[in-house]
Amino acid sequence: MNKANAAATLASVVFLKIQEFPRRPVQEQARLRAQLEAVVAVTAAELLPENRIVLDADDGSVIVILGDPEGSLRLAERAVTATAAGLPLSIGVNHGAVQMAGGGRGEGMIGDGIAVAASVAEFSAPGRVMVSRSFREALAYTRPGAESRLHPAGVFTDGGLRRHELYAPDELAAGRTQRRRIVLGVAAVIGLLGAGVGVRVVVDGREKALEKGLSSLRRSALEGEKLLRELRAKLRH
Amino acid sequence: MAKKKLPQFGRYKILEELGRGAMGVVYKAEDPALDRIVALKTIILSDDAEGHSEYQKRFLLEAKAAGRLNHPQIITVYDFGQEGDLAYMAMEFLKGSELRERMKEGPISVAEAVHIAELVAEGLGYAHERGVVHRDIKPSNIMLMPHDQVKIMDFGIARMRASDHKTSTGLVLGTPKYMSPEQVLGSPVDHRSDIFSLGVVLYEMLTRTKLFSGEETQQIFHSVVNFQPVAPSKVNSEVPPMLDFVIERALKKDPAVRYQDAFELAADLRSCMIELVDREAAEAKQKGTGKSTKTLKLEAEAKKGQAPAAEAIGMDTRLPVSLRFDCSAAAARLTNPTRRDRAILTRAPRPVGFWRRLRRDSGARWLFAVVIASLLAGAALAFA
Repeated sequence: MNKANAAATLASVVFLKIQEFPRRPVQEQARLRAQLEAVVAVTAAELLPENRIVLDADDGSVIVILGDPEGSLRLAERAVTATAAGLPLSIGVNHGAVQMAGGGRGEGMIGDGIAVAASVAEFSAPGRVMVSRSFREALAYTRPGAESRLHPAGVFTDGGLRRHELYAPDELAAGRTQRRRIVLGVAAVIGLLGAGVGVRVVVDGREKALEKGLSSLRRSALEGEKLLRELRAKLRH
Repeated sequence: MAKKKLPQFGRYKILEELGRGAMGVVYKAEDPALDRIVALKTIILSDDAEGHSEYQKRFLLEAKAAGRLNHPQIITVYDFGQEGDLAYMAMEFLKGSELRERMKEGPISVAEAVHIAELVAEGLGYAHERGVVHRDIKPSNIMLMPHDQVKIMDFGIARMRASDHKTSTGLVLGTPKYMSPEQVLGSPVDHRSDIFSLGVVLYEMLTRTKLFSGEETQQIFHSVVNFQPVAPSKVNSEVPPMLDFVIERALKKDPAVRYQDAFELAADLRSCMIELVDREAAEAKQKGTGKSTKTLKLEAEAKKGQAPAAEAIGMDTRLPVSLRFDCSAAAARLTNPTRRDRAILTRAPRPVGFWRRLRRDSGARWLFAVVIASLLAGAALAFA
């Protein structure tokens, strides 16, 4: 095993896996790899060079992103659009430990963060992004609210009998969260105002509260009428 | 001194001995009935009476199967028979040289190696279609003929005496350096084993090195099962990157992800040949204009190491940094982190607290504001 030469760091790992890569004819493999490189070049260009490291895998590419889970998700979602251009990608995103590993064959990286991202990509269908629970937590911490776009996709067990709780981005999920919040807000308004009215009824008695309310309404109506009259007079003048 | 009397097998008159191997002797013989010169291969069927009938049965089956093969890249079997404890096969007499000899003579060009492998793959594809697996593809079983032709020899012969070579651990021995992992492990062997062996032969032709070497058979077996070969382009810079893909796929340890069909391998080798021809033409053209010939991409490919696939990646699996992207700045951040980097990059994500969510999440902020406003309005309604 290669000797690690740096302390473990937590980073977001995007695994872009070409589906069924080993089973494809070599000509197609060469074409798909060239396509993937173009996709990585375009998508990684959005990230600062000091924030990303691109690694080679046998059947895809891995992008390790430092301190930017939101950028990682954006990159993964942009890369998935390449499926429309005939590049069958399945994408796994994880947030976990990575570290630089030197060795006789140049620089490289190892870490559980990469291994889990690879497993997540294995579970992902072509043209789909799946993220791990740890990535969702990292995203929620750096950008609270952004995690509402990720809805649960299930619990999967990999070859090493490790269970992964996975999530998939869903635009509708964000809308659902927003709607839930609106409903909650309306319910809070109705509940709290109703409670205020209830308290008044209990304290003053029903008729008095009603009379008070009606007189307040009448007063408001008179004031409104007066205001309207003044406005009309001003306009006529 | 009196000349040693050469034996006669059936109607075949032995003319001279051509060579000897573990399985038997090869003679040059004459078929007087057809006035034809043949190569007669004898095979020792059994050393004990017990296994004799079994060997005989297997020999007949394999010889019949091999005899049905009629392809320009496969040596033609004319006849077979038995003479005492020796079985014999009368085959086409070839005037060529073994690939093993050619490899010893000197380096084989990439184009020639690809051409040989392509023809062998074609022949294997034909045989596999008919249910015949060679099981012992190696340079000495590939004959180079005039006019760039190739013939595969000894189809099915390895199988005929397979049980002779069973070891105490149940492994079947053949030619260890060219055996597939499934042969080494004693697992069921099918046509994909021949594809692996051809991959080894091609690798050796291209790199002029022995792929699986070792002083002892066990060492070689261990290499066959565990050693991940470096890309041939790293050893021989003339090898195009596409050929790396072909060899890598032919040499997959797991037969399920190897080439499933020798014709598929032949097609890919043909594509490599086209690329080689194009490259040679481009090089010749550039030589004419005095320009440099290598592209950056080829150099990068040549330097590239072997990286594992997603399913084989574990937490200690090392993935190489891509040479196509400049990752030095980020790598420097990891190897020599600043205090700020250490604080940011080593901190595990925590659950989002109430105030953090309120500060950073606009939706939550609005909800909170609405609740507070409603609370105040409710209080006003109640007590004003």
